[in-house]
Amino acid sequence: MGRFVLRRLLQALPLLVAISAVSFTILKLTPGGPLAAYEGNPLFTDEDRARLEHAFGLDQPIPLQYLSWLGQFVRGDWGYSFASHQPVLLLIGERLPNTIYLMGTVFVTVLLLAIPIGVVAAVKQYSWFDHLVTGSTFAFLSTPTFWLGLLLIILFGLQLRLLPIGGIDTPGQPFNIFDRLRHLVLPVATIALVQLGSHVRYLRASMLETITQDYMRTARSKGLGERVVVLRHALKNAAIPLVTVLALDVPELFAGALVTEQIFGWPGMGRLFWDAATRFDYPVLMGILTVSSGLIVLANLLADVVYGYLDPRIRFG
Amino acid sequence: MRGSFIALAVATLVVTACGQTPGGSAASNPPSASDMPVRGGTAVIAIWQEPSTLAPVYANQTVSDIVNYGVLEGLAETTNAGEYVPTLAKSVPTVANGGVTVTGDKMDVKWELQSGLKWSDGQPVTSADVKYTWEIYLKDPKVNTRTGFDQIASIDTPNDATAVVHYKTIYAPYPLNFYQLMPKHLLENEADISKSDYNRKPMGTGPFKITDFKAGDSITLEKNSNYRLAPEKPYLDKVIFRSVPSVEVAMAQLKAGEANAVWNLTAAQSVDLDKITGLVNQVVPGPSVERIEMNTAQNKEFTDPNSVNPVLGDIEMRRALLYATPKQQIIDKLFFGKAQVGSSPVSQGWAAFKGPQEGYDPRKANDTLDKAGWVKGPDGIRAKNGARASLSYTTTTGDATREKVQQVLLDEWKAIGVEVKIQNQPSSVLLSGSCTSKDPRKLGSFDLVQFSSAPGIDPHSTVLPRYHSKNIPTQANCAGQNYTRIKNPEIDAAIDAAGATLDQEKRKQSYATALKLLNDAYVIIWLYDRADIDARQDALKGWEPNAWQRFTWNIESWWLKK
Repeated sequence: MGRFVLRRLLQALPLLVAISAVSFTILKLTPGGPLAAYEGNPLFTDEDRARLEHAFGLDQPIPLQYLSWLGQFVRGDWGYSFASHQPVLLLIGERLPNTIYLMGTVFVTVLLLAIPIGVVAAVKQYSWFDHLVTGSTFAFLSTPTFWLGLLLIILFGLQLRLLPIGGIDTPGQPFNIFDRLRHLVLPVATIALVQLGSHVRYLRASMLETITQDYMRTARSKGLGERVVVLRHALKNAAIPLVTVLALDVPELFAGALVTEQIFGWPGMGRLFWDAATRFDYPVLMGILTVSSGLIVLANLLADVVYGYLDPRIRFG
Repeated sequence: MRGSFIALAVATLVVTACGQTPGGSAASNPPSASDMPVRGGTAVIAIWQEPSTLAPVYANQTVSDIVNYGVLEGLAETTNAGEYVPTLAKSVPTVANGGVTVTGDKMDVKWELQSGLKWSDGQPVTSADVKYTWEIYLKDPKVNTRTGFDQIASIDTPNDATAVVHYKTIYAPYPLNFYQLMPKHLLENEADISKSDYNRKPMGTGPFKITDFKAGDSITLEKNSNYRLAPEKPYLDKVIFRSVPSVEVAMAQLKAGEANAVWNLTAAQSVDLDKITGLVNQVVPGPSVERIEMNTAQNKEFTDPNSVNPVLGDIEMRRALLYATPKQQIIDKLFFGKAQVGSSPVSQGWAAFKGPQEGYDPRKANDTLDKAGWVKGPDGIRAKNGARASLSYTTTTGDATREKVQQVLLDEWKAIGVEVKIQNQPSSVLLSGSCTSKDPRKLGSFDLVQFSSAPGIDPHSTVLPRYHSKNIPTQANCAGQNYTRIKNPEIDAAIDAAGATLDQEKRKQSYATALKLLNDAYVIIWLYDRADIDARQDALKGWEPNAWQRFTWNIESWWLKK
């Protein structure tokens, strides 16, 4: 197992470099640049533009720009934002806790809800509960998050006035746990409902397949109670594909939900990425893209490792 | 909890005092008994774009200005009428009052600071700060623009309250050169200001100081006890700029009472708010003019300035396009009347030129084209000398209002026999202002291009680069903004004359000459003058319009009515 992990990690490094090179090139080839924002200033002259292009290193050929970025990046210098002049690491550090706060809550919520709902739906197949679950998960899984988010805002924020429209807390107020929780409800609901749609179905399908296995019959015939049969034997095996899917949700803890954060005005990584993308803020974009791709590679590895751990039939070459 | 929050929000709105600008000449009604300013409270302003930096040396966003009006001040500012008034200076130096001395083609400007001025940290404001501001603009490679500062040869500071600025040329916009002062004592030892806290919390002399900058969330301003008009002003205790993701969310917050004011609405959005009692739309005609510029040179990349556009090279065609443009109709239908018919690039201020351009007359358009020899073909499209009247029409993508304007004009121009093909580009390209980013205006690869632009309070900064023949961008030299590629020696002479003197009357006449000639060349259709529309709750008092500064320009005079 150890050699397997090591080999995968070594394979990951050139992959990440390749990803960063391709991302960088695509970003640079996209028409537009960070200096478009200065156009609105009637005093901005062409000399100013030339000076800024030089100051930001934009007048050099693309491969040279990439290599200088890469050289600094691996030494820990992630550069400074073109727009705000803050260090990229600081910008990410400011937003990351908010995203982890949101996506972590989503992750836990989905985990805690998907398992019981999926299990009960599978065990009581064809019951009214099962029909309700399959129907609503299908609906939620097909719903675009931005639409669901806006709908919830209109319903609970504007019409019923029960919950705040957006933001992480009420500005100007000292820290208040209830205020925070109230602001958390709608964004979490938006993302979690859509994710539950798929995760519940995964688990339900997996459980249905497991329940019909021969060894389940053996367990029952050993005289074990139904609950032990279901939880200890069926769920443990049925959970394996779900664990793989959950492990792939881990990169979202970092990257955040781009659209949902925009809708709810959540000061997280998703919004940072969006703002940087519209402003062609290359250092910030490269910082976020590189870490996201790194996390995806790691999460894939994690999923494979966990899968191998749970299922002893898997052997690592 | 919700109820008390709403009460707080309403309370915050009310504290805008009747607007008295510092040393300003803005007319304001004397407060009636029920309108006496109330002290205290917090105003929440929803901004749907987050300022990436607030340091005046680097900032390039409107929203940075909006926040900074509460924090930073300079030597002088502008009133709604376009006049210069002193802020930190005792008076605005002019030739008449002896503050400005012109010798040959150079000039010296003497600024006297008021006494007792302090930065928000209590340190005194001195002429050394004026000199430092100039030095840092020239030294730091990342400043947004050096315009103005690069015209200064040196600055003398004979005493703490006096700064004598020696200009290398006659620089007419000198009153606003030091429009935001930077503190020498705080920044002189910073190796790189861009890496300091000054980006997020710039220190100034204004009514408030920034106490908190929560990225992506909010910026908090609190009363500055060292403000020169303290303790009387500011009336508000705190102002919070709350970052929201879009203007629709900002409007929703305004309606829900979570915000007291919202910035920069479109006319269509403001109509939505008009119907709600308790909310007020502030419509201020601004200097920004939306226009359609025509390329008189050939439509191709890096076009030769001496080439001639086969269709638009004919002045009669350009005239006809203008006659077939229903400006008032567009304003009525798309802007609900909240804009004005455009007539020139300088619509406001002392140099305002009101054209006019001829109005909508499709019959005249058809007659003009008939007489000029543009014959309608079997498909209804005119042609002359083998050139078919088919033009490309470019504006920014994703702008619903502009798309509607395009649809209107497409139909109107088809009716006079001109075929128009829409070829829009994202604003990051179309407005990038650079040849490398493929801005079609710079390259000359367009026929008709629609965008808006606002001159500064001094029109020379836009009139010179845009309408002077020496400023046509070419492959060899991409500098210059003369997109129409107009080459008229009389216009050039008038612009040069306006730039060579400080006499405002003479300059105004020179600009009028140049702009009249420009209109007579029919190279630009001035569609409409954009208005700035901001909305507030009625309880937030003290707002005064100012076309040249952002709506927070007199934030020290705002108060919330309880």
